[in-house]
Amino acid sequence: MNLLEIRGLYHDFSGLQVLFDVNLEVKEGERHAIIGPNGAGKTTLFNVITGSYRPPRGQIIFKGNDITGCKPHQLARLGIGRSFQITSSFSKLTAFQNIRMGILSKKGIRFNLVRNVDKMKEVTAETDEMLRRINLETEREIPAELLSYGKHRSLEVAMALSTEPELVMLDEPTAGMSKEETHYAIELIRRLTEGRTMLIIEHDMDVVFSLADRITVLHLGRVLATGSPQEIRENQQVKDAYLGETED
Amino acid sequence: MKNRPVKVILWALFLGVLVFYPSLFGLYFTNIFVIFSIYALYATTFNYLLGYTGLLSFGHAMFFGIGGYGTAIALERIQGLPLLPAIIIGALAAVMLALILCPLLVRVSGTAFAMLTLAFGQLMHVLALKLRWLTGGEDGVGGFPIPPFHIPGVISLDITDPKKFYYFAMVVLALSMWVIWFFTKTPFGSIQTGIRDNPRRVEYLGFKLPHTKAVVFIISGGFAGVAGSIYALFQNLISADDAFGIGNSFAPIIMTVVGGIESFFGPIFGSAILSFIDELTSRYTERVEIVTGLILILVIMFAPKGFSGFLRFMRGKWLSPPNANPALEETK
Amino acid sequence: MESDTVLYISQAMHGLAYGMVLFLVSAGLTLIFGMMGILNIAHASFFMLGAYFCYQVLSMTGNFWVSLIVAPVIVGLLGVLCERYLLRKLHAYGHVGELLLTVGIGMVILGSVKIFWGTESLPVTVPQILKGLVKLGGLEYPIYRLFIIALALVILAIMGLILYKTRLGMIVRGAVSDAEMVNALGINVPAVFMFVFGFGTWLAGVGGVAVAPILTVYPGLSDQVGMDAFVVVVTAGFGSLKGAFIVSIIFGLLSSFGVQFVPKLAPVLMFGFMAIVLALKPAGIFGETE
Repeated sequence: MNLLEIRGLYHDFSGLQVLFDVNLEVKEGERHAIIGPNGAGKTTLFNVITGSYRPPRGQIIFKGNDITGCKPHQLARLGIGRSFQITSSFSKLTAFQNIRMGILSKKGIRFNLVRNVDKMKEVTAETDEMLRRINLETEREIPAELLSYGKHRSLEVAMALSTEPELVMLDEPTAGMSKEETHYAIELIRRLTEGRTMLIIEHDMDVVFSLADRITVLHLGRVLATGSPQEIRENQQVKDAYLGETED
Repeated sequence: MKNRPVKVILWALFLGVLVFYPSLFGLYFTNIFVIFSIYALYATTFNYLLGYTGLLSFGHAMFFGIGGYGTAIALERIQGLPLLPAIIIGALAAVMLALILCPLLVRVSGTAFAMLTLAFGQLMHVLALKLRWLTGGEDGVGGFPIPPFHIPGVISLDITDPKKFYYFAMVVLALSMWVIWFFTKTPFGSIQTGIRDNPRRVEYLGFKLPHTKAVVFIISGGFAGVAGSIYALFQNLISADDAFGIGNSFAPIIMTVVGGIESFFGPIFGSAILSFIDELTSRYTERVEIVTGLILILVIMFAPKGFSGFLRFMRGKWLSPPNANPALEETK
Repeated sequence: MESDTVLYISQAMHGLAYGMVLFLVSAGLTLIFGMMGILNIAHASFFMLGAYFCYQVLSMTGNFWVSLIVAPVIVGLLGVLCERYLLRKLHAYGHVGELLLTVGIGMVILGSVKIFWGTESLPVTVPQILKGLVKLGGLEYPIYRLFIIALALVILAIMGLILYKTRLGMIVRGAVSDAEMVNALGINVPAVFMFVFGFGTWLAGVGGVAVAPILTVYPGLSDQVGMDAFVVVVTAGFGSLKGAFIVSIIFGLLSSFGVQFVPKLAPVLMFGFMAIVLALKPAGIFGETE
């Protein structure tokens, strides 16, 4: 069954066409990667799906419901969580407080003005559990902006997961990481998203081919091909358009 | 919390000083202290917007003013209105104003928010001057009856006596500040700080930004209204320039910046510091604004964390091992 | 000629003249905002300084024309100093910090004005040639108002020339619509910022000189006209020069006809207009929505 389905999606920025007739299916439980050279429209596609922009044409279906044009907070409540390519945490808040924000949202605690949040045991326990899973227990009380780059990126991913979304969308979670850090981050993601549906944008081909169940190649705003890692690797069009270029 | 006893002793000491303050320092300084406390609450409501939510209001005086006018006009027009309902009317008037402005203001942030609040603050000023039948124009509303603070069988306090007014005002103001402080500790308070740091991410986590901002705005406005209401009772007068003037919108800004934006107690320190400076400079010159202006410039340029930042720095230096985490202070 | 028509025309002249003054002040404000992202709260104070310098130069030289040239230049130089030694050195709190800093600058200017010139209203007289009325097509116009309108139009023309015919103007226009571009082109941004801030405050200074003879020079001047200019910028949309021009004239006319027909409501008209505009379009008439 398809968890997410995109049909004939177009998008432009004041006349500059960025997405052309994009069709995409993300099956429940699969790890789906989107790859493509810079400027292919990957992040724009993410932004359209998560409600940053309203597309002029096309449909986005999530769990059988049309969610085209929904606002980001509605989509988050429906079960779509995302991370950002450029780390977008609450910089002055501690790692713990960052994660807690997502936990509060998951529990539907939005306008509670009568309880001390530090004394809400369940919230604290769940937040600590998430911190433990991303190995940030020792950094619990450190403001996000002071975390090391790798840890900050882990926090970014963990925030997306903290609301326990059915669909996790990660926008280049390993951007700017060294080879080792990337390796570590991928293991982390693999572990955290166990049993969840994931849509991921990724640059590192090794990562993509080892992590993804299926891959969609985006090129100049169009879908070039979709298939298993094996199929994509052998696809001549993809090789010509994309893989050939990045071979360096 | 390892230094809990120290804290308890300090608070007890502070409370003791508060209780005996009027007897110790006499009428003149008691009245100065009341004004300081009113502005401490007012500045705290301002910082609830700026420091905790990142919204800079340039027209906060509209809430202070409407709170004062609400209470004053209610007491003037309604025969035998008791004290607490009069204060509540003031606060509700401020809440209503906040509600009316919400749909417009929650859609913007940053400079646009500052501009719009500035403009609406001025609009309120003009209205207070022009709706003479209601507000008394430039003269304002004064000489209205001040009922005693009366709870049947519990207490009856004639607050026209300055000393008794002091105790009454302290209770109302301290209680209001405590409520705001508590709000910052709730889940809502933590979402609020999220908005300050990264409004977009708050939305992507599933919170509805405009609604959250609206609630913050209403709470802030309502308590600023309480401050204004106590001010009107204290002076037994509220006038347009005093209440709605641009200077009254700038006052909490300066207090908050001088005291420290990133701390709950910053605006309270700031209010104390500025009351002190006001008191000192006004003995030598009428040009207090040049002094406060210079202080504001110096603080922003050279000590952006204000007085509470300075305190934290000192404490970090002498009392505990280097504290790597200033934001911790917020949560503990 | 019917007396009604005469009345309308003279009210329109008043409104137009005030609108032009508003434009001079709000143009500087919106230019600085558009270019640097700074909402200069001290702008109204610079405007007031223009009026006071006008008075000072006039009482020293006795020549209005000299003060028309000199006073705004001094104001502009003060603006440059503020930009160079205060705003540029500020790094805390981003735009909010800049805003607060300009509040401080405004307070210091206001305090200084009171120290140097006291709080009384100071008279500024215009030269003989600008006094009285002139007859045109059977109607009499106050010459000074015509002069203000002409002055503003000349400055508008100069601004147009700079903005549309010079390289500097191209940079400024580019920066107003897209700050990133300026960085990308490798232009000396600090120098351009300093120029824009100086130019903006110079415009405020010109506005101050222009109103000095019709409104009295006193410390409340900055609140009176300054606030109107802020409302113009909010209503027109931040950073839109065209908008500032159109809205200034609308507000000028609104205030002069308002005083004529609905004197009680006149001061509220502008704010009412603003509230309606903002309710429909929060970014202002010519503002771009984010």
